[in-house]
Amino acid sequence: MSRTLRTTAAALAALGLLTACGSSGSSSDSGGKTTITFWDNNAGPARTPLYQKLIADFEKANPTITVKYVGVTSAEVAEKYNTAIASNSTPDVGGVTTALLASLTAQKALDPLDERYAKSALNGKIAANFLEISKSASGGKGLFQLPSSGNQDVIWYRADKFKEAGLSAPKTWDELFAAAAKLTDKGKNQYGFTIRGGAGSGFQVLSEAYAYSGLTTMFDAAGKSTVDDPKNVALIEKIAAQYKATTPEADVSNAYPQMLAQFQANQVMMVHHNLGSTRDVKTALGDKVAGFLLPAGPDGTSVLANPVDGFSLFKNSKHKDAAWKFVEFLDSHEANSYWNQNVGQIPANTEAYADEWYTTSGITKQAGDSLNSPTTKLVQPPVYLPQYSKITKTDAEPNFQKVLLGKTSAADFAKSVADAFTKAQADYQAKNK
Amino acid sequence: MALAAPPPARGHGLRRALAPYALISPTLLLLATFLLFPVGSVLYYALQHHVVNEPYDDAFVGLANFRQMFGDEQFWSSLAFSAKWVFAEVMLQLLLGLALALIVNETFVGRAVARALVFSPWAVSGVLTTSIWMLLYNPATGVFHYLAELGVGNAGTSVLGNPDTVFSAAVVAELWRGVPFFAILILADLQSVPKELYEAASMDGAGRVRTFLHVTLPHLRDAIVLATLLRSVWEFNNVDLLYTLTNGGPAGATTSLPLYVAQLARKSYDFGYGSALTTAAFVILLFCSVLYLRLSKFGREK
Repeated sequence: MSRTLRTTAAALAALGLLTACGSSGSSSDSGGKTTITFWDNNAGPARTPLYQKLIADFEKANPTITVKYVGVTSAEVAEKYNTAIASNSTPDVGGVTTALLASLTAQKALDPLDERYAKSALNGKIAANFLEISKSASGGKGLFQLPSSGNQDVIWYRADKFKEAGLSAPKTWDELFAAAAKLTDKGKNQYGFTIRGGAGSGFQVLSEAYAYSGLTTMFDAAGKSTVDDPKNVALIEKIAAQYKATTPEADVSNAYPQMLAQFQANQVMMVHHNLGSTRDVKTALGDKVAGFLLPAGPDGTSVLANPVDGFSLFKNSKHKDAAWKFVEFLDSHEANSYWNQNVGQIPANTEAYADEWYTTSGITKQAGDSLNSPTTKLVQPPVYLPQYSKITKTDAEPNFQKVLLGKTSAADFAKSVADAFTKAQADYQAKNK
Repeated sequence: MALAAPPPARGHGLRRALAPYALISPTLLLLATFLLFPVGSVLYYALQHHVVNEPYDDAFVGLANFRQMFGDEQFWSSLAFSAKWVFAEVMLQLLLGLALALIVNETFVGRAVARALVFSPWAVSGVLTTSIWMLLYNPATGVFHYLAELGVGNAGTSVLGNPDTVFSAAVVAELWRGVPFFAILILADLQSVPKELYEAASMDGAGRVRTFLHVTLPHLRDAIVLATLLRSVWEFNNVDLLYTLTNGGPAGATTSLPLYVAQLARKSYDFGYGSALTTAAFVILLFCSVLYLRLSKFGREK
């Protein structure tokens, strides 16, 4: 081989290396076996082993299908899906929460599931409210996700410390603030409550506001956002007044991990999160911890629907039937019950509601009953708006910090969120007439 | 091989002409893939409306993104923060780096250990630096907790949660990592100062201060200009430390321009506007760098 040829070959080899990085098949057939790729949208040491067990069970029952598990952490799942859509390398099936559903359907990445669900043995067994949240999240254009787990806001509290102080779980916000004041001892670095000021604060403060105001919709009949309703503003003011009075100073930039760390370190007595942290708090504090649902305001209470987790089929998949079979398996009574028992969330499969672990689960069942009750006023957050993440995260989070620091009023904060929602809703409706 | 017949003349000439291109082609290819393509795509998207979850609105919008930028309060406040951050970091790093370099350039017992210690923070990654400082600043377990126990300050003091102290706290964390860079570069240059100059200065009766001002400092000029320029660009583009330490908070008090761009891309999925801001940052950096090099007469003979 001459020198020129050799160098050219080297250059081509380098090019080959570059292109090799770019190809990734999503699925394959070999010897009558179908391989489907499944993305876990919230991988981690607690959840990954559960999926590995379920996948092994599924493959045993369906020897012709192999499931390739890909774990993606919840923090980066939106990015990964967006990149996969842009490069045509989406999986066959993936975990998708309703928070992400609108973004994926807007990019036309998902396959509608209405027909498959209608023909499935699961039909009628998936909780109706869950399906409604899912359909609302994709803008009411159909079912693009089969729900698997429901979630609900919960306030974890130190049952032992409450008992010592002669307190019981608060039923109203005023009782909660009174309890927080009673349990605060700054000299000992002990605080009654903690406010989420960092990542995720937007949704959290809105769910608190609607629990207090009891308003039932995000938009009034004229399409105007209800976020800046005086009753919502009143609660945001009350929350802001807790900052540094019954909560640590660091709250202003704390997100869930720091809040939970404070709770586990005996520094805060109540922490508002959701059922997603059941396992964490129970492991750390055992019987010392209990939970209650968000308390009511003077005019009753509403529930701002939490994201519902579930599974979606991707349009580009070549094995949708096999992928759907896997989804049906995951949502079957046994698998769905096993999954939710271990993550402490509300099963979507209503057959699991009779299972013993669920009937004796305390807060999980309480939250599930509330979520499934026809009398619960369920407020659907407008996650179908393309600007939802921008409004509730990029813009609202720093603004809420300004409220805590006294640099903006609660009313101005609520108005800025409301105005952004109203405008986004008008744009959305104009486009979807 | 030595006995093989020489190749025909014509082919030989063509091959000779092509060989250099073949040799540099991998480099060109890599440059095109990893430099030209990304830069080009940023310029392209800067002129587009491109929001990932509003694909139906994607279109060429000309300079609309740049017009939006001029009216964007957050752009100006993040740019102002970046300017303040770069100035504070580079000045303090230069002064402390210079001082450390002068100290470890002296002869004393344990100099090798002292040098290693001075340089060690440079080897720590940005995110790890953050983790260390977050533990130090943690109101429940960090230094302020212990100070409060000794009666200094209040329990629960959170320097990262207070907009009045967060800037200094972030500056100190970044200083810890940045000072060694200056110390290394300046020390290397210090060692190349000819001994004769110092001897001559001492013959002329110059003291330590005058020797430093008239011999050492002029010799270090190019190293200082280069180090400050490099560091300014790096500090301007610093995302890792601020992103993990404060995430731009509280209330946007530490949101630098690159961090604002990162938030636009990660949370709002607005890549069009984010690209426009990146382009603006690129132009600002380019302009400042050229101006700085001109004003400092870098590389010119004295």
